[in-house]
Amino acid sequence: MAGYKGPGLRREAHLCCDPTHPSLSSSQPVEAKTKAQGMSHQSDVLPCDQLRDQVIGNQSSHTQLMETLLHLRQTVDDCITQLTTRPPQLDLPLEEQRHNQATGEQEAFLRRVVNLLQSGAMWGLGLQAPRPTLGPRDDAGGGQQAQLSRQLDQLVHQLSHLEVAFVSHDLSNRGIDISAFERSKFQDFKTYQGDKYHEDKNTMGFINLGVSENKLCTDLMTERLSRSDMNHLEDALLQYSDQRGQPFLREEVARFLTYYCKSPARLDPENVVVLSGCCSVFSALATVLCDPGEALLTPTPFFGGLVMGSYLYSKVELMPVHLDSEITDGSARPFQLTVDKLEQALLEATLKGKKVRGLLLINPQNPLGDVYSRDSLEEYLEFAKRYNLHVIIDELYMLSVFDDSVTFRSVLSMESLPDPNRTHMIWGTSKDFGISGFRFGALYTHNKEVASAVSSFGFLNGISGITQYKLCRLLQDREWIDKVYLPTNHSRLKAAHRYITNKLKALKIPFLNRGSGLYVWMNLKEYLQPCTFEEELLLHHRFLGNKLILSPGKTYMCKEPGWFRLIFSDKPLPLKLAMHRFYEVLAEQKRDLRVKQLEDPQKE
Amino acid sequence: MFALPEKESRAPSTCPGPASTQDLDSNCGDGLERECSRKPDQKLPELYGVGDPTAGFSSNSSHLSSRGGIIKWFWDSAEAGYRTYHMDEYDEDKNPSGIINLGTSENKLCFDLLSKRLSQSDMLRVEPALLQYPDWRGHLFLREEVARFLSFYCKSPAPLQAENVVVLNGCASVFSALATVLCEVGEAFLIPAPYYGAITQHVCLYGNVRLVSVYLDSEVTGPDTRPFQLTVEKLEMALQGANSQGIKVKGLILINPQNPLGDIYSPAELQNFLEFAKRHELHVMVDEVYMLSVFEESVGYRSVLSLERLPDPQRTHVMWATSKDFGMSGLRFGTLYTENRDVATAVASLCRYHGLSGLVQHQMAQLLRDRDWINQVYLPENHARLKAAHTYVAGELRALGIPFLSRGAGFFIWADLRKYLPEGSFEEERRLWRRFLDHKVLVSFGKAFECKEPGWFRLVFSDKAHRLCLGMQRVRQVLEGKSQVAEDPPACQTQEPRDRHREPRRWSINNK
Repeated sequence: MAGYKGPGLRREAHLCCDPTHPSLSSSQPVEAKTKAQGMSHQSDVLPCDQLRDQVIGNQSSHTQLMETLLHLRQTVDDCITQLTTRPPQLDLPLEEQRHNQATGEQEAFLRRVVNLLQSGAMWGLGLQAPRPTLGPRDDAGGGQQAQLSRQLDQLVHQLSHLEVAFVSHDLSNRGIDISAFERSKFQDFKTYQGDKYHEDKNTMGFINLGVSENKLCTDLMTERLSRSDMNHLEDALLQYSDQRGQPFLREEVARFLTYYCKSPARLDPENVVVLSGCCSVFSALATVLCDPGEALLTPTPFFGGLVMGSYLYSKVELMPVHLDSEITDGSARPFQLTVDKLEQALLEATLKGKKVRGLLLINPQNPLGDVYSRDSLEEYLEFAKRYNLHVIIDELYMLSVFDDSVTFRSVLSMESLPDPNRTHMIWGTSKDFGISGFRFGALYTHNKEVASAVSSFGFLNGISGITQYKLCRLLQDREWIDKVYLPTNHSRLKAAHRYITNKLKALKIPFLNRGSGLYVWMNLKEYLQPCTFEEELLLHHRFLGNKLILSPGKTYMCKEPGWFRLIFSDKPLPLKLAMHRFYEVLAEQKRDLRVKQLEDPQKE
Repeated sequence: MFALPEKESRAPSTCPGPASTQDLDSNCGDGLERECSRKPDQKLPELYGVGDPTAGFSSNSSHLSSRGGIIKWFWDSAEAGYRTYHMDEYDEDKNPSGIINLGTSENKLCFDLLSKRLSQSDMLRVEPALLQYPDWRGHLFLREEVARFLSFYCKSPAPLQAENVVVLNGCASVFSALATVLCEVGEAFLIPAPYYGAITQHVCLYGNVRLVSVYLDSEVTGPDTRPFQLTVEKLEMALQGANSQGIKVKGLILINPQNPLGDIYSPAELQNFLEFAKRHELHVMVDEVYMLSVFEESVGYRSVLSLERLPDPQRTHVMWATSKDFGMSGLRFGTLYTENRDVATAVASLCRYHGLSGLVQHQMAQLLRDRDWINQVYLPENHARLKAAHTYVAGELRALGIPFLSRGAGFFIWADLRKYLPEGSFEEERRLWRRFLDHKVLVSFGKAFECKEPGWFRLVFSDKAHRLCLGMQRVRQVLEGKSQVAEDPPACQTQEPRDRHREPRRWSINNK
């Protein structure tokens, strides 16, 4: 696992809120906020870093610093008083309300700045010496730091720039964003839909190892779904149902999760809400937990599709917690999530004026395939509790842990949750049962308010009664799941995984060897020169040119270029052909790199 | 054109208040049968109202975002009647004194036909492609079938294109997605009121888009007019009013056949409304979810897709679903037809939230394809049953001397119960509704449809005979001031089919 060349602290940073200039305190945060909304790509910098540096540089500056802080607080307080002299009025038009809200946000932001400056200073003053490795490193060409901030927006915009400037007189701005997103992001998917690989009819078509679908057990699934018990019909299934989902399905989901998540107590159907897919559950949750512009912390790389869309629909943002491929002293394995990293990301986000409302965890992780240990999970939850953050845990792959030596622990298996009212679990049948076309997702939450609010989306994100019935029958059939489906599915996943990983080993391609999920996360950095996201994209297009779809790491907000996710849960024949194409592309790429290497010195 | 600067501070007159009840004089038009008349009110009628779904709401939740609090409030308030209903649902055998639901607009008359059709072997196909991620717009086979279906039943002059079809899980989702991709936060759509109130929520939940009500009057103003008639003039006034408050209006929602009025727009009216929208560069969303539920042959229904030439095809978006016309609201199948590719693409990219199971998509394609069954079995039978149920309820209301709109479309009757509200206030309206509920019959009150006159109620008649009769009996008891409830057998002169799997009998009721 190759690491970074030059770990180092950012020191060129200028101060965002210069404590030596109290006059800035009133104007600067406001400007920072405008900047964030105006999608500034300028590097936002962490005053805390600077403070820490100062502190380390000169311990005697302590008193001076505290004085400055007091002064700053005074100024901020004045500013707040000024801002809050306008009483909130409910009957004002929306613009006015928004204005007031914005003012409130500024106020909250200012308070936070002050608190953080203080806590940051305290932290630097000896509670803990900052480790040099903690600072984000600048490796992949300058843009990294900027990308920390509005990465999501940027990505959307970069994607939209792929298209010839798209203008529409009919769509709203958000409609244009949504449309541009569709046009760029799913161009591949559309091309693929039109020219799909087929064993007999289209052997030259696209093989899709980019979309996370399990195609290994369609025979079992088709057989099970064709049995006569699936086709029951009654009038209630054709009528409006409880918006949270049909009671029979919610009961079954509660039983199912109690059993497969090994919950210490029986789960309550009243805590279950079912919607049309996990995207819907996530989107509804994000909407009711966060106001527009507020954010969720997310360890990256992570599956971007889920949240990308939510950003478009509900304007909830993501603050990435960047993980390193390199093993550092605080971590035992590559891309390991630590509480330190969470703390740092939260601090950074808060200093940027982002209100962080929660933490999004995916377990088993996508695209890494990592499974969180019980202890880590508990630490993350404790961290969230400390800061009153919601935790959304996506356990979409919980039954796709195919390596017996890996023990998956669902969050619902914990004896006691640190903050049950802020812990929300999502599961669906798309991955574990290979039926993404069913559009089914479930939320389990102890928080009645959250469950009710999410239920409001039952109309907009509802599931057909007929589908709900079939799902109920499926989840009920424990005998078939335990004796037929899961063993077969796991052994097929294992075989496909072994096949792919052997190929990768033969090609000397580094990858994460995990025993869960439908994917392998691999490092193709060797094939990029220079190692940039542009080159990554070019390589991706080269794969596409050879009718092979993989997902480049950029899609997962991975901060290091060169990583790709490959889906291995496809039938042996297409998988073999795909690896053949894969090999060809890499060989071609290698040849080109060699030519480039030879040419470069000549140019000089 | 209407690039009015967005004003910040002018307060909209949001509260409908008890201001305007008009006098309905003796000229009642063909539809509205009136008995009572009220004193003229001196106040000027309100012409429009800017909806603010969050007015008067304050959140005190520590766990939810502020919009989350509002969304939960939506849920809580919507639930009020329903929770009561769901906890005490009428069942012929198990709970004969339970609540009868004449409030939800569902067609429960044809389950026998539907379940038979949906159980045929062609419906039960399972294949891998149906289990995997589809094209987000919907499977091509279904979009093609929808295009053919709409070409035929909407009588479109040229064949409609599958490329213009997007499939979603119900019309609620179509509203939500359209609102999001057409409007910025806080912008608005015009909608003639009374209207199907849930739309407020549909456009608000994700989209944060508001509705501006174009208030219609029960009063008949001229010889060729009808109660609650929509005119271009009213649209203009409402648009101007909203603009003057700094509210940017992006579109117009038309429901045709109208819910709750049951009205049908003539081609000429439709054309006028579309021209109005074009003049102001407004999108028009035409909700035709009841288009095949026009059960009166004399009513000449025309879909917007049947017009020879749309004034502004790029801004005209049509929605339809199987919920009402095929009595399967629980199936969650809705569709958008728009020639605007940008809009179709943008809506399609939101379909990951509004998708429909592949197996159900297959079933829908099979259903829509079966023209023989639809034309020869389903539609004639459905219309006959709707007509019989309508005739029965209309007769009951006449017997009570209750004026109502008698239209030949939809599942509901819009009834004027103003004579039961001495003060003519919305509080009284709500109290009367509560009294109905206490007497185990759930109906919908006018305020839920943003009707500006208190005292109107919507009664859904598309239910089986035994429930309908019992429901109407309870309605009568409440209105006649009799308080004893439920246990007595239905007073109507039908024999209830005890076997629920048998076809329901037609009503043989003498309308007094």
